Amino acid sequence: MIHSQEKSSVLSQGVFIFVYLAVLTALEFLVAISFNSVPLLVVVALIKAALVVYYYMHIYKLSLESEIDEHSYDYKASTNRLGLWLFLVSDSFVFGGLMVMRINLLGLTRPELNQLLGLAVTAVLLISSFFMNRGETLMHQGDRRGFLLNTAITFVLGLGFLLGVVLVEWRLAIHEGMTPDSGPAGAAFFMMTGMHAFHVFTGLILLAIIMANGRRGLYDEQNYPIEAAAVYWHFVDVVWIFFYPALYLIGRLA
Amino acid sequence: MRHFVIVGILVIVMSVLTYLGLDAAELMPVAASAQADPIDWMWNLQVIAMSFLFALIVVPMFYSLIVFRRRKGDTTDAEHIEGNTTLEITWTVIPLFLVLGFAYLGAVNLSDTLRADPNAMVVKVTGIQWSWIFEYPPDPETGLVVVSDELHLLVDRQILLQMTSSDVIHSFWVPEFRVKQDLVPGRITELRITPTMEGDYKVRCAELCGTSHAYMEKPVVVSSQGEFDTWMSEQLEKAKEAAATPEGSGQLLVAANGCAACHSINGASGIGPTWSGLFGHEVELTDGTTVITDEEYLAESIKDPQAKIVAGFETQLMPTYGFTDEQIANIVAYIKTLR
Amino acid sequence: MRKTNPVRSGLLLLVIGGAVGYGIGLGIDLLISGNLNLAGSVPSAFALLLSVTAFFFGLYGYRGITRGLVWQVVGTLLGAFFITGIRALTGSSNIFGSFFFSEPAWVFGALVGVVSFIFGVGAVDDWMKWARGIDTPEHHEDEPGWEKYFYVSLDHKVIGVQYTVTALFLIVVGGSFALIFRTELAASQLQFLTTTFRLFNQTGPQFYNTLMSLHGIMMIISILLGVSGIMNYVVPMIIGAQDMAFPRLNAFAYWVAVPASVLFLMSLVLGGFDTGWTGYPPLSARAPVGMQMFFLAVFTAGWSSILGSLNVIATIVRMRAKGMIAMRLPIFVWASIATSIIALTATQLIGLSFQLVMFQRLFGLGFFDASKGGNPVLFQHLFWFYSHPAVYVFVLPGLGVISELLPVFVRKPLYGYRWIAMSSLGIALVGFTVWAHHMFTSGMNEYLRVPFMYSTLLVAVPTGVKFFSWVATIWGGKIETPTPMLFVLGAIFVFLIGGLTGPPNAAIALDLHLHDTYWIVGHFHDTIFGGFVFPFFAAIYYWYPKATGRRMNEFWGKVHFWMMIPSFLVLTFGMMRIGLLGMRRRIVDYDPALGFDTTHLIMTIAAFLIGLSVLIFFINFFRSLKHGEEATGNVWNSRSPEWQVPSPMPVHNYEVPFEVVGEPYDYGLEGSKYVEFASPAEVPHLHPPSPAEVESIK
Ligand code: HEA
Ligand code: HEA
Ligand code: CUA
Ligand SMILES: [Cu+2]
Repeated sequence: MIHSQEKSSVLSQGVFIFVYLAVLTALEFLVAISFNSVPLLVVVALIKAALVVYYYMHIYKLSLESEIDEHSYDYKASTNRLGLWLFLVSDSFVFGGLMVMRINLLGLTRPELNQLLGLAVTAVLLISSFFMNRGETLMHQGDRRGFLLNTAITFVLGLGFLLGVVLVEWRLAIHEGMTPDSGPAGAAFFMMTGMHAFHVFTGLILLAIIMANGRRGLYDEQNYPIEAAAVYWHFVDVVWIFFYPALYLIGRLA
Repeated sequence: MRHFVIVGILVIVMSVLTYLGLDAAELMPVAASAQADPIDWMWNLQVIAMSFLFALIVVPMFYSLIVFRRRKGDTTDAEHIEGNTTLEITWTVIPLFLVLGFAYLGAVNLSDTLRADPNAMVVKVTGIQWSWIFEYPPDPETGLVVVSDELHLLVDRQILLQMTSSDVIHSFWVPEFRVKQDLVPGRITELRITPTMEGDYKVRCAELCGTSHAYMEKPVVVSSQGEFDTWMSEQLEKAKEAAATPEGSGQLLVAANGCAACHSINGASGIGPTWSGLFGHEVELTDGTTVITDEEYLAESIKDPQAKIVAGFETQLMPTYGFTDEQIANIVAYIKTLR
Repeated sequence: MRKTNPVRSGLLLLVIGGAVGYGIGLGIDLLISGNLNLAGSVPSAFALLLSVTAFFFGLYGYRGITRGLVWQVVGTLLGAFFITGIRALTGSSNIFGSFFFSEPAWVFGALVGVVSFIFGVGAVDDWMKWARGIDTPEHHEDEPGWEKYFYVSLDHKVIGVQYTVTALFLIVVGGSFALIFRTELAASQLQFLTTTFRLFNQTGPQFYNTLMSLHGIMMIISILLGVSGIMNYVVPMIIGAQDMAFPRLNAFAYWVAVPASVLFLMSLVLGGFDTGWTGYPPLSARAPVGMQMFFLAVFTAGWSSILGSLNVIATIVRMRAKGMIAMRLPIFVWASIATSIIALTATQLIGLSFQLVMFQRLFGLGFFDASKGGNPVLFQHLFWFYSHPAVYVFVLPGLGVISELLPVFVRKPLYGYRWIAMSSLGIALVGFTVWAHHMFTSGMNEYLRVPFMYSTLLVAVPTGVKFFSWVATIWGGKIETPTPMLFVLGAIFVFLIGGLTGPPNAAIALDLHLHDTYWIVGHFHDTIFGGFVFPFFAAIYYWYPKATGRRMNEFWGKVHFWMMIPSFLVLTFGMMRIGLLGMRRRIVDYDPALGFDTTHLIMTIAAFLIGLSVLIFFINFFRSLKHGEEATGNVWNSRSPEWQVPSPMPVHNYEVPFEVVGEPYDYGLEGSKYVEFASPAEVPHLHPPSPAEVESIK
């Protein structure tokens, strides 16, 4: 059983990481609106991604030794962990392709979008990631109520992001005359946000599932599904860490 | 040891024979352009390499199959040889240098085919489904521009083709000239050719571009200055007098836009209805109704091809062209002449 | 469920279903368009859907695949009507399209159809349970006999066979298409695919393009399925695993390929598509609805390939037998890893590129539409970023099979094991960096050409290592040549020719002449046959006893080989010959002045002989199931673990686990062993139930 101060230290780590991410995001925004240096923006995005991948997605767990018995839960869990990461690698090629498409079609110009709104939705997704991580850690520490509460918050924020993009952002863009068929900017914007929104949507379904099963009282010992849902959720966040500057920050207005 | 010597000799014999065989087979069409020379040189080099490598693998393989085949009643395994690192390294490193050499030569070779001649004749090329439009430099005096679906070239005079497409991707290829270049909508691609042999050739569209891709072929004529000039002046004459009459200028428009790719003027069946005797008839439409093919029907069908579709031609929809009303009138006038 | 000769009742219902469907379609068509069009698309579409479904119903009753197909048909119609309804309500101008439903309706319908199939066949039942927090047993026991091949089984061997048979089916369909258009090509001018010809709303030339394109893509998909087939059946077996890492994902990956195949057939009847398998826009942005079915089909089949390879990697990393360290892996496993790395990652890009064209068609997003500031060449980059590495997906397993079988039949260790193993990875990795060699004439940025020539030629090096090592393996061996070995040797010979015709294409200036000619067609038929088709047959002849406990007839096997290889060489040499002389690809008719008629005629005859040989193979394949000679032991006297246990393979592979104690290919080394089986006493429990829960993310 874990000692209490260890518990709190694990939790506070999550908080620290979140603070870093928030600061970096703000920095990113300022750089963009002031002297808009693309290399700098890229570097910041990479750092943010690295933080999430290591501290929130626990990529290092891939290298952990598991039990040898093929039928033990631990063994299967780490096999599934590998499977999930392989899937994410594969999936990231889709987003990579979309990024290539955006760079090829738009170059160093960006679509005409409301940068503040962009910052807002980004913040929402970032905060949701924080609560996701918190919920996961709490469940590992056997605090079911905490887990359910934080996951619920994550779900609400995620939903907020989804609606923010689809209802507010898209409406606005179309209203401003940037319809999907208006040109490369519109095409890139709707395709990229659309594909990402779809992943957020699937993430929400996973969250719903683990919450439902959590309420049913599962996951006391065998709680890999929670980790899986969390990792997937953070992955969607990582994707946005790159899409956000690509769509809202980099370059001059088209 | 004996085996190695025999195989070594056989490999050499085999590669020589293979090469001679392939060389005798005359695999390439006649070379009719300056660009063809470096390309055929590279081809020859590749054939040599192919022949040798083919022999290098195949000879020892078949030799073993015969010499080392399992004898009747022998159930034992063969000698236990796991491999030999130095050997592996050799046949990794040697091919490595080989391919690097090939790549270097390939780069040089490419630059040879791209060598530009400052006073090359510039012809604008447009690909359309399924024909070619060649726009020659304007005539110095009259400023008239000859537009034709035939490509006439001067022997030993480099030509710079500035190409684009009005619909889908096409590709300019005259096998005797070797070089090939796609025509891409929305951008201009260039191709330099220096014909070296007088004669009649054909430009064949090499990129799948739809139903009649197979038939997107037009004459290419390489001739001496004299013949070229006479053809040019003929075309200019035609252009001048044709421009005078409506049906004449209609005919020019038809030629320039490759309408003949779909509409025959001799009654032959095609992608679209034939034009011979088209005017002043009753035709049945897809919706079962019938119309008289008078001026306004024809005009409408050119302006908005999908408005009324003749029964039997549903599958291939005609693109809309940006003709002015006058131009359309001219084309209709031309069609009327095709009784 | 009737047991009395299911095949007959199946065929009977096939006919009836087809007739009924045709009738219905005809009726609907009549209602909508008002005129009776016997060769129209709608009747054929309905006939197709119903006949296929009816066939399986007769064969199998209403379960498994039949249920899936029924659900797919219903789902497709519901989805289509849904969109049609919406269009009607929103009062859009054209509620119906030239193929009865409008294009968006067809697309949405097809999508719903695929999903319905997955649910209908029951490929996601367990996941649904897990999502609701219900446990399921780790394995479902299959019923004995042939039935298990027609429903969702979790046994990797069953799935492997399912993949293989589906692949063979697609080869027959795609091959028959080839025979049809080869007949048209037998002479210049149009023979039967004339401009007055009408089928599925296509004129002769359009129909040629559709057949040719479908031939290309269906053959490629059949390869991908065949590859998954071999890997599924063999990999867990030779690394000593009980099954794949994710059995349910494995089944899922197979079953999405089935609705995909149906979509291919639908693309044929829905106006076809005339773009070739490469589907370049702008042409693909204008093609008929069939284009969308093609995109969806490839997209769906792509997921099969992605998830399948994910599974293979996980299995190899996690489930190896004790002592099976990297350098003691069977060589085929190395090939599988290399293949799977490509399939796992690159496949997403073809999916994406096709998706972008779909959206361009549906919603007017102008990615590749020059008039909207799009870029047609971008598509080619995205497409080839997958489709070049894909060609190594085709061959790497094949080359793996060659390396796996050679030592067995020459009774000598595999020469330079490490080098062959590493060369597979080398080919895979370099293969990622060469895609633009398909675009030398495309008008892409000039400075890109030369670097891609360098990278392309580099691939020759690792490939060469394989060839030289093979020759060294054969050299001085004691060579036996039963059918599998014949196909292995044929593969080496043919693939060598295919490979050697690669570098000329890479030499840019030369490629300006070769591009889009039959030379290229010859090149890739050689590489594909040598790298996949021949090894595939070799693998089937080799592992057939393992799966069935019987051998395929040796005599007819040899007939198959000696009939196939010469006619095939004639076919491809003919292709290369006329290609160099100016025969373009993808043309329904060629200029008589070129004087290719005789060559084409000979090629067509050769093509039919290949077809015949394949026919012989099939007869042999099915006859041997009952009449083949018993072969339950170590038929080929191999060292590999799967042959140390009796055939057919037990359900959970090895009742007792084995440990790797030596090198895999130490033939000729006295008293050496590759694997050693633990004595049953030492085995604690065979397979106790354990929470399947854990897989619930998959
Ligand atoms: C099974 C699939 C397969 C394989 C393995 C290959 C292998 C290779 N291919 Fe091929 N290729 C295709 C399938 C394949 N190809 C297909 C389907 C197309 C057409 C797609 C379409 O347009 O529809 C195509 C088209 C294609 C093109 C485009 C042509 C064009 O459209 O203009 C090019 C250009 O570079 C090319 C090159 C190569 C090369 C260099 C190799 C190399 O990997 C070959 C390496 C092997 C050897 C070289 C032989 C053995 C080596 C030695 C004996 C060592 C010594 C060798 C040297 C020193 C040279 N291929
Ligand atoms: C796995 C890959 C594969 C395989 C096995 C084949 C097999 C064959 N291919 Fe194909 N082919 C491609 C992949 C393949 N092809 C691709 C990717 C293209 C490019 C398409 C494009 O350009 O977009 C192409 C294109 C292509 C062309 C060029 C078309 C064109 O450019 O216009 C031709 C022309 O001859 C051709 C011929 C053949 C023939 C005769 C066979 C024969 O070997 C087929 C023999 C097999 C059978 C016939 C199956 C067995 C049939 C039965 C058992 C039924 C009963 C048999 C009889 C009635 C005899 N193929
Ligand atoms: Cu134009 Cu093919
Ligand atoms: Cu390639």
